[in-house]
Parts: sequence; C-alpha cells; structure tokens
Amino acid sequence: MKEMSRIVKTVTNFVYGFIIIFGLYIIAHGHLTPGGGFQGGAVAGSAFALLLVSYGSLNSNKFLKKDIFSLFENFGLVLFIVLGFSGLGITFFYNFLANSGSWFGNAAFIGINPGDMNTGGVIPLMNIAVGLEVLSAFGVIVLTMASGAEFTKKKEKS
Amino acid sequence: MKKIIFGIAFIIFFSFLIVSAVNMRTFGEPIISEMDDYFIENAQSETGANNVVTSIVFDYRGFDTLGEATVLFTAVVGIVALFRGVKR
Amino acid sequence: MSSFVEIIHISTLVMMIIASFLAVVFRKLLPSIIALSVASLLLSLEFYLLHAPDVAIAEAAIGAGLTMAIFIFAIRGTR
Repeated sequence: MKEMSRIVKTVTNFVYGFIIIFGLYIIAHGHLTPGGGFQGGAVAGSAFALLLVSYGSLNSNKFLKKDIFSLFENFGLVLFIVLGFSGLGITFFYNFLANSGSWFGNAAFIGINPGDMNTGGVIPLMNIAVGLEVLSAFGVIVLTMASGAEFTKKKEKS
Repeated sequence: MKKIIFGIAFIIFFSFLIVSAVNMRTFGEPIISEMDDYFIENAQSETGANNVVTSIVFDYRGFDTLGEATVLFTAVVGIVALFRGVKR
Repeated sequence: MSSFVEIIHISTLVMMIIASFLAVVFRKLLPSIIALSVASLLLSLEFYLLHAPDVAIAEAAIGAGLTMAIFIFAIRGTR
C-alpha cells in the first residue's frame, strides 16, 4: 500500500505518541477510573493502525516488527495465567495480594474518594498483563492484514 | 408468492419486537437486585479497588476474562495461519 | 432536566439510523465505510449517555478505529 500525503504524515507524527500514552494511562489506572486492560489496549492498538494507514505497509516494516508483537502477546497471556494460578492455595483467581500490606496491598477507603494508586491486590497486575496482550494482538492483526492485502494485489497484477 | 410470505413473517417478527419494547421495565430498576447490592456493598472492602466494574471483571468473574483472552489469542493464531504464505 | 436528556437520546439515535442508511445507500466504498464509522461513533456516545463509560471506550476504539483501518486495507487490496 502506498503512503499517504505529507499532511497526514505530519499530523500522525504529532498525534501517535499521545494516543499510546493515553492507552497506557487507561491500563495503569484501571482499578481507579473507568477502563481497564482491554479498553486501554484497544486505544493503544489503534495508534499502530494509524501509523500503518498513513505510512503504508512497506515503509512501516522498518519500525513495526511482527516478531516483537508476537513475543509480547505470548508473554502477556502467560503472565495472566500465572497470576491466576498463584492464588491456588484458596481458589483459582483468588486475590491473594489485597489488604495484605505488600505490593498494591493498602486497604481502600470506603465510600466515594479520589483513590490511592497502591490498592487493588492482583487487579493492577492483571490489567497490565491483559493490556499487553490486547495491544500486541491488535498490532499483529493489523500488520498481517496489511501485508496480506499488498500480497494479493501484487499477485492479481502479475 | 415468496414476497408475500416474506412480508408476513417480517410483520410478525417486528410486532413481537414492538410488544416487548413497549412492555420493557424502566431504566435502572431491575427485578432482582440482591447480587448488585452485594457487589456495591462489599467490593471495595474485599478487593481494595475503587472501580467496582474492574473488580467484578478481574476478581469475581476472572475465569470469564481468561476465556476472553484465549478467544483473542485464537483469533490471532487463525489470522497468522491464513496469511502464512505471504512474503514481505 | 429529564426531557433535555431524552431529547439528546432521541437525536443521537435518529442520527445513527441516518448514518446507517447512508452506509447502505452510497455507491462508492470509501464514503460508505466512513458513514459506518460515524454510526459506530454515535453508538459510543449513546453508551456514554447510558452511564457505561467502559463500553464507550471499547466501542470508540474498536468500532471506529480498527474496523475502519481493516476495511481500508481490504479496499486498497482490491484495486
């Protein structure tokens, strides 16, 4: 696929960092504000789609590697399953870090409050795992579909 | 003839939708609310997270989220297997 | 106050129906998928008005962003 015009590329250079940072913010604050792993990963994955649409699939192979996305996706899924199994002393998916005083272990204030970052037990770690998995999954899907469309177009022309 | 049968079936289906939309309960007043009351009362002290929706998705119903992540992984595997012969 | 919220609900739904109708009616492919994306964005606004911001974020990112990118790839591949 060809790259788009200079205006689109300049606006993309301004915007894509902010979109990725907003997605990481939604992932990291998933236990305090609306959103979570899936939503933040989808927002950050749409930034890769924007890069790929504006720069074209041939040019963007220099800075978007499919192998790195695939590695991060497997790492996120394995981390999520390991976090689920590590509460197995009581039940599967038991929240063993909540109210314990260690990592993310402070007790939350009851009622309406602005929130503390250091609460939630396993929930922030699971948010990070699922967010990494969803972000890399959308990156792999968009990259593979772009190169597949380019390949079919070249094959029909010859 | 086929169009007449098609139209009659469409009218019957649409009238069922209209009847069920008219008889719908008012927004925000469920019939059985013990589960919601339990979550709103106890989620903040049991899991320590302020966001009740996230504490339901990742703690009380964590098995559902595991299934959703597996579905996404299977979709990625299917797409990569579909375009496996593509040279870059 | 309640009637004002109801007016916003009804106008959002009517605009969504118009956008979906335009997505079917257009002859060219690129304006058609832009109309589909507008319908998805208005659906996300409706989710936000119904007090479900989680679903609104997911709908705006997937329905209006990623789906449109994949449709653009498919259209570029056919010609």
